[in-house]
Amino acid sequence: MNSLQGTIVDIEVSGQLSLVTVEVHPKTFIKAIVVETPESADYLKKGQAINTLFKETEVVIGVGESFHISLQNRITGTIKSMDKGALLGKVVLETQMGEITSIISSSAIDQLKLRNNSPATALIKLNEVMLAKL
Amino acid sequence: MSWEPLILTFKLALVTTLALLTVSIPLSYWLAYSKARIKPIVQTLVSMPLVLPPTVLGFYFLIAFSPNTIFGGWLNEALGIQLVFSFPGLVVASLLYSLPFMVHPIQSGFSGVSNSLREASYLMGKSKLQTLFKVLLPNIKPSLLTGIVLSFAHTVGEFGVVLMIGGNIPGKTKVASIAIYDEVEALNYASANFYSLTLFVITFGILLTVYLINGGHLKKFWK
Amino acid sequence: MINIQIQKQLDGPEGPMLLDLNLQVPMGQLITLYGPSGAGKTTTLKILSGLMQAETGKIMVADSTWLDTSEKICLKPQDREIGYVFQDYALFPNMSVRQNLKFAQPKDKDSGIVQELIQIMELENIQDRKPDTLSGGQQQRVALARALVQQPKILLLDEPLSALDLKIRLKLQDYLLQVHRKYGLTTFLISHDIGEIHRLSDWVVVLEEGSVVRQGSPSEIFINQNLSGKFKFKGEVLHIEKNEVVYIVTVLVHNEVVKIIAQESEVKNLGIGDAVIVASKAFNPIIYKVS
Repeated sequence: MNSLQGTIVDIEVSGQLSLVTVEVHPKTFIKAIVVETPESADYLKKGQAINTLFKETEVVIGVGESFHISLQNRITGTIKSMDKGALLGKVVLETQMGEITSIISSSAIDQLKLRNNSPATALIKLNEVMLAKL
Repeated sequence: MSWEPLILTFKLALVTTLALLTVSIPLSYWLAYSKARIKPIVQTLVSMPLVLPPTVLGFYFLIAFSPNTIFGGWLNEALGIQLVFSFPGLVVASLLYSLPFMVHPIQSGFSGVSNSLREASYLMGKSKLQTLFKVLLPNIKPSLLTGIVLSFAHTVGEFGVVLMIGGNIPGKTKVASIAIYDEVEALNYASANFYSLTLFVITFGILLTVYLINGGHLKKFWK
Repeated sequence: MINIQIQKQLDGPEGPMLLDLNLQVPMGQLITLYGPSGAGKTTTLKILSGLMQAETGKIMVADSTWLDTSEKICLKPQDREIGYVFQDYALFPNMSVRQNLKFAQPKDKDSGIVQELIQIMELENIQDRKPDTLSGGQQQRVALARALVQQPKILLLDEPLSALDLKIRLKLQDYLLQVHRKYGLTTFLISHDIGEIHRLSDWVVVLEEGSVVRQGSPSEIFINQNLSGKFKFKGEVLHIEKNEVVYIVTVLVHNEVVKIIAQESEVKNLGIGDAVIVASKAFNPIIYKVS
């Protein structure tokens, strides 16, 4: 499980859902959507220290400058290490917030021509991010 | 040779057993459930007849019951009871002598009944007495039967105490075990054999019945 | 309200310990006592029922005082109107099922209740049998029916379902809920089965070493409130296997076996038999009807 610490800077509520914005590094944000509201969960408040958790298998890897895709949670870094199996490969990204691990297909690693020390971006869908109170 | 000593033996055993049962149920109940400090002492006293030679008990009974002592004299004068060399005296002596044979099985029967049975009965609003008769006793029937038979058989087989306190009065205190001794001393082996064989057969029959009942071997005939 | 304040010195599994409780629970609820063995759960029920004595303390049930050591008041078990289902069921072996129920019936109360409970608990076919010829589930039903014949105010259940297999347990939980509601009982249950506690109880009291360490609703007690995963189950690790760059962890959740992909850092501290929580966001699971 990848884990990035931060503080809640914004909460948008609609019905039972909340869209929570967590600042994990100055000017770097992770957004998460949860089936909770500030009324039902006491940790949903601005300024709350929080852990954002997301599974390695949910982390998408992108390379290059700009992508026209819907994923808003984007964290840039450099590839620190790779471990390739027959079908799946593990890519570890070094970022300003710490390491982020991604599991993608081995063929995708080849297709993107990923190399150690080359820049890459980790992208996470906001519904895959869990929040854990610190 | 006569049936008299045999009849006397079984009469003594019957009376003793019935009296013992009445005394032993409350005594065993107390021994099984009480936490009193004097319990070990009572427990020891109850078990003493198991280890003491019967003649020791007989000797002290003889002294205690003799009209010449304070206790014996009081019994004799105030109540008109003479225990030495009499049938009631035999009953009292047998009662004490066979006590452990009745108390031990019943006590272990009580201890073997799960505590929760008693507790459940109390929580249903039943008193201790109701619980004893409706729950405890019906569930320790094998122990009761064992106690009854052991003390009956033990009283039948008594010799030392009876000889000491009862003497050898035909029709009053001359039980089978004494009669056998008598006949052997008189070299009357046929009579001795008659008494011995009868005792053997009857007691064998009684014990066998108990083991059959407690072992459940007779259940198929009841249904 | 039931107000329990009791102290009693006990011999715990790790030497002497003090049972020291201060509990207030509303009437009509189903309260579970939860905690490791030797924490004082059974003792609490025994003191509540009057079968054991507290050294000091007070028990108030509604307006009546059951125990007040300072006033030397201690109501006898016979007068407390408590139905108790023992761990070993405590059925009287010398009586048939119906006689067991009859024995529990108070003289001044409605005699129709025996028949009613025989029907509710489905005991018609076994009512003339002796307890030792019955299966565990049947004995349990008889014990519960018998405890209810008294029409108690308070029902105490000491791990009544722990010895039964899952299918019978689920059925008996239904019976239990049904009668708890029908007769408006206040029920105290000792249980270790978290699924059972979730299904049955309104309130959970966690006991450790003779003291209340936590209390709350079952979901407050058993679900880690600090994690936002909505799809969350307790389970037990059955197997861990490395597969290429990931690990596949096989977990038993209730009686279903599930598999979870995990990273090396996550399985590092996991062993076979460990209790774990399997969690996912509510967004991921797919739901479809099976019948």
